Amino acid sequence: MELTRRDVLKGAAALGAAGAVSGALARSAHAQTTQKKELATAQGGDISKFDPHFSTSSNDIRVSFNIFDNLTSRHPDGKLYPGLATEWKLDGQTTWRFKLRQGVKYHNGDPFTSADAKWSLERTYDANVKTMVATVFTTIDHIEAPDPATLVIHTKKPDPLFPARLAFYGGQIVPKKYTESAGADGFNAKPVGTGPVRFVSWVKDDKLVLDANGDYWGGKPDFDRMIVRSIPETAPRIAALLKGEVDVITQLPPDQGEKLSANASTKVQGALYAGLYVLAVNSKRPPLDNPLVKQALSLSIDREAIVKELWRGRGIVPSGPIAKGDNHFDASLPPLAFNPKEARERLKKAGYKGEEVFIETTVAYVSQDKAMSEAIAAMWKDVGVNVKVEVIEYSVRAQKNREKSFKGVFWSDPTSTLGDPDGMMWRLLGPGGPQDYWREAKFDELGNAARFSVDEKFRGECYRDMTKIFLENLPWLPVIQPYEDYGVQKYVEWTPNPNQQFEIRKFNFKFRRA
Amino acid sequence: MRGFLPFLAHRLFRALVALWLVSTVVFVVMRLSGDPVPLLLPPDAPTSEILRVRRDLGLDQPLPVQYGVFLGNILRGDFGRSIHFREPALHVVTGYLGATLELGLTAFVLATLIAVPIGLLSAMKRNSAIDHAAMGLALIGQSAPTFFLGILFILLLALKADLFPTSGRGDWRNLVLPALTLGAFTMASIARLTRSAVLEVLGADYIRTARAKGVTEAWVVAKHTLKNAAIPIVTITGLQFGTLLGGAVVTETVFSWPGIGRLAVQSIYNRDYPVVQCTVFLAALMFIVINFAVDLLYGVLDPRIRAH
Repeated sequence: MELTRRDVLKGAAALGAAGAVSGALARSAHAQTTQKKELATAQGGDISKFDPHFSTSSNDIRVSFNIFDNLTSRHPDGKLYPGLATEWKLDGQTTWRFKLRQGVKYHNGDPFTSADAKWSLERTYDANVKTMVATVFTTIDHIEAPDPATLVIHTKKPDPLFPARLAFYGGQIVPKKYTESAGADGFNAKPVGTGPVRFVSWVKDDKLVLDANGDYWGGKPDFDRMIVRSIPETAPRIAALLKGEVDVITQLPPDQGEKLSANASTKVQGALYAGLYVLAVNSKRPPLDNPLVKQALSLSIDREAIVKELWRGRGIVPSGPIAKGDNHFDASLPPLAFNPKEARERLKKAGYKGEEVFIETTVAYVSQDKAMSEAIAAMWKDVGVNVKVEVIEYSVRAQKNREKSFKGVFWSDPTSTLGDPDGMMWRLLGPGGPQDYWREAKFDELGNAARFSVDEKFRGECYRDMTKIFLENLPWLPVIQPYEDYGVQKYVEWTPNPNQQFEIRKFNFKFRRA
Repeated sequence: MRGFLPFLAHRLFRALVALWLVSTVVFVVMRLSGDPVPLLLPPDAPTSEILRVRRDLGLDQPLPVQYGVFLGNILRGDFGRSIHFREPALHVVTGYLGATLELGLTAFVLATLIAVPIGLLSAMKRNSAIDHAAMGLALIGQSAPTFFLGILFILLLALKADLFPTSGRGDWRNLVLPALTLGAFTMASIARLTRSAVLEVLGADYIRTARAKGVTEAWVVAKHTLKNAAIPIVTITGLQFGTLLGGAVVTETVFSWPGIGRLAVQSIYNRDYPVVQCTVFLAALMFIVINFAVDLLYGVLDPRIRAH
């Protein structure tokens, strides 16, 4: 066939017109439904690693929990469900028996067996592999794989949260045979798992292409292909959603929600963060070594105002160190009080003489951190605290965190990795933990007792008493438990997960079709 | 071409010294900026783990030793392994180079193709409405921050007018907005300089002579004006390439363009020394090569320079 210039121009005009018409139609009439077979998402940063044992960053987790499966799985409702293990039980105090799912295949066709599970878990703490999740399974003593469908794990001491540990990072099961033959770099470049999507290609900082796994044991996802883009700036990320270029965007700031809700074809969906945003306190630095001063600081924070003004209502006021949604969260506790008058009294009682209190704030380490710092500084000034706000850069924060050299209070977003206070308050505030700036013998005794008990009632009592001690000593000043918001097309039916996993399995993700 | 070889040798020597200085400054500044290891590990990683990773990365060595190893490796074209990506830094950076060159060259060509005629027109129609409009626009182009322009283009031309994609790399349509954003400052600078260079030439005696002997205006511009105004224009064009490389940092971030500018910023945050060093080295190399080419071009444009 011979093409003339005129033909080409005519074709181009027709294509353009068709594109414009179909585009307009898609946006107006069919905004609530779609015929899409491709899911496109945009997140604030690119993937750094595909090997799930070499990263704990949220941008990586969103992908790795979908290429790979864990033995257990934490669903968006916060509960633990079967994954590659179909059932499990505790034998005595320290032996966990797992029955593994049969007939599961890796993306390269190799079968999944208990040997993979054993090898994969052992790999996380193998000193030669040097993973980034070496501290997750320190309670394991040894693992046995008596037959392909059974895994027996012996822990050093009773570990009531062991199945929960398996559901989070470090617990993704990688294939023994393929990983050994491909080598660490080869595996990271071409990851192979058992998950609902398989790796196709990745151009760094551009896009990742994943195909739906048609043989997935949990059913083929409701799309043929998934594209993950990284759009670091908020405004272009939102523009991409509004224009329909992507279906879901992550990290939606609270002040942008109204724009998406007002738009005919998009909506905001949030999950109450599995954790808290707190001002962690270096309780070794005067005047913060005095519990009365910390109580005064806490009492003078108007958290309601912060939630309402800075977060547009997208958060709740915490009642203590345990996040809502976690095991042993005490719903009967009142939200942390705002009482400037009482705050002044306690400062007086503490003998506070105007010593400097530093807020070392980051910018966007946690959402709204700088704005919240400024607001809190003003509130503290109102009750007579000599407060200084200093802005530090992200990596300076990491350095100070490691050296424990903060001058006063600093932002932290403790994540509840296990859906339990052990994986949050005790992991971070316990002896030798990353935020160990304060010790109290009774607190430590209770924390240890709760960690190694399989009696949930007893554990609940421990955490109730720990909360009391916490509220007197305030090693953290909890500020907000925020919603983590996503911008979503209205034709997407999906529930976000509180712990930053991006669950696209069939049970949780659907395109609404006409 | 007498004296060309010594000239070349001299320029090459200066280029090498510049590269050495740039690498050294980056090496020192990155080391001053802090330790990459806490950023690689979870916050609750024990000290033993941190020490282990530092040893693996060679960061436990004294600075002079690290510097010696660094220089020796550069001479062999080895920039070390990326701390973040765990692959050779040169490999990481060259993977991003194509996107930056595509964007930078498009912005550069676009800027030159638009700016030179506008500058020329402004000069020829001096003080007319066209001149004022063009120079007003140029002023905006020079003074508007790249970040602001980028977001403005996305909201107006991509979202409202639906003419281009909002961000990302793909076909030519993806290239238009980032290239315009990146090229805006350069375009404005070249347009303003072209205008003043042409104005200067238009006032010269030989132009009056040409007109007096009845040469058409078009010929006056094409033959006598442009060629004589070319030297300052070429100079600024070469220098502007450096501005484009710098501007790429912001433009690539706004448009999520997978180039070395964005890579450099992320690598600085990640304290990924090898990648930052390699990126800066290659960017400096490009800048030096282009200005070297501009120097040679002078000789082509003006035989008097060649004679010196």
